Amino acid sequence: MSMNLIYSFREGFVGLRRARLASLLTISTVAVTLTLLGIFLVLTFNIQRVVEHFKSRMALEVFLDNSLNSDEIEKLEERLRKVEGVDTVVFISRQEALEQFRREFGEDPLDLLGENPLPPSFQIKCKQEFRSHQGIETVARDIEKIEGVDEVVYRGQLFRIVDRYSRIVLLTDAILLCVVFLSAVLLVANTLRLTILSQMKTIHIMELVGATKRFIRRPYTIQGVLQGGIGGTIGSLVVWGFEEGIRLRFPQLLEVFPLLILSPLLLGFLLGFLGSQLGLRRFLKV
Amino acid sequence: MIQLSDVWYWIHGEQILSGVNLRVEAGDFVCLVGPSGAGKSTLLRLVHMEIFPSRGKVKVTDYETDSIRAKEIPLFRRRVGMIFQDFKLLEDRDVFENVAFALWATGVPRKRIKKKVFQVLAEVGLSHKRYAMMTELSGGEQQRVAIARALVNEPFVLLADEATGNLDAEATEEVLELLRKINRKGTAILLATHSENLVSNIPTRIVKIHEGRVSE
Repeated sequence: MSMNLIYSFREGFVGLRRARLASLLTISTVAVTLTLLGIFLVLTFNIQRVVEHFKSRMALEVFLDNSLNSDEIEKLEERLRKVEGVDTVVFISRQEALEQFRREFGEDPLDLLGENPLPPSFQIKCKQEFRSHQGIETVARDIEKIEGVDEVVYRGQLFRIVDRYSRIVLLTDAILLCVVFLSAVLLVANTLRLTILSQMKTIHIMELVGATKRFIRRPYTIQGVLQGGIGGTIGSLVVWGFEEGIRLRFPQLLEVFPLLILSPLLLGFLLGFLGSQLGLRRFLKV
Repeated sequence: MIQLSDVWYWIHGEQILSGVNLRVEAGDFVCLVGPSGAGKSTLLRLVHMEIFPSRGKVKVTDYETDSIRAKEIPLFRRRVGMIFQDFKLLEDRDVFENVAFALWATGVPRKRIKKKVFQVLAEVGLSHKRYAMMTELSGGEQQRVAIARALVNEPFVLLADEATGNLDAEATEEVLELLRKINRKGTAILLATHSENLVSNIPTRIVKIHEGRVSE
């Protein structure tokens, strides 16, 4: 490593010590905000996972005319498979429907009516990109136009609610991410301002002896990245602890992949870098 | 080597320099003498390219104020040493580090730094105080540290802005003798001072400056 780089790293660390209180405040704030963000991301990811799972199990019930014979039902099934957005098609005969009714309601329609009133139907699941309120409505509309289809039943209202709430969660995430990120960037920039102000003489001497702009700016960039990185590391550790804690008590509840736990650390480095650049641009005129 | 051609400088409506023409050749020892506020420091800062003329041109070797690029300024400054009345040293570092700082900042390898710093400290007579902190040094010694820092990059010219202004008679004589020695080795010196007595003892070229105009 060149002297130049050693000097920059040493000054970066010394800078943290010089503006000790401000650095500590920044690191703590970055840690707290990124921890909250990390936990929020873990929860959001898992909420999304549950929503997706729930959506994947929701199906369209396509009831057919009672008059259709088996050839016509077979042809209809072919047509249903070709409808855009359809993933799986499962046929439920009148007999199967009757047995399902008996299982679910504990009563036998044959006893009450003397005949099976249930029509044959298809249970249709949509492809992932159609698992939204609008997507499922489009598929339902297309199926309704097919000859032989009597009625299409699905839980449109439920889909609408699920869609709305998952959108709210995502939007909250995005807003939180922006607010947290921006405030942390400003904090890092402000801490650097204090360091830069206390170092004006050194900076002037650097210029005097012919230090390049890059050489002068580098220790402050390193200092900013360190602040963000340390805060982010704490954030990642807490998020990991949170996830492990939940996992110990409810092993099946959360699913977490490493990037999610590392996200506070990565964001910490990024915001430290951005904050330092902002601080340098605003307060260091070299 | 240094050429100021019809240089004017004004700031916030105040005229500081008016049509200055000055030429300094390699190996010259030029004393720029004038009262406070005459424009001496401004002239040195123009030569150091910290500021740029409002009109006219400053040329230092191949570098010219109207064509130098921002990226070239650090390279240029490594060849122009400058010392000040208030020394501008880093109080939290020792003598060695203050001098080495100029080399660290320019990316010189560690081994060469040590060798160069020891060499230049010997030149200014401070080898024995290389690990002393600034607070342990006299004013004259501090100015010698500043001179060592200015010399360590082997400049072709040394600009001295009231370099003896804060020193007693004995330290002033020491610093002047050191500057003469440096000059004898071929480095041009441009020394700005308000004291006519100071320059009367030095066999140098004297340039007078008054209200922003120079005369010899």
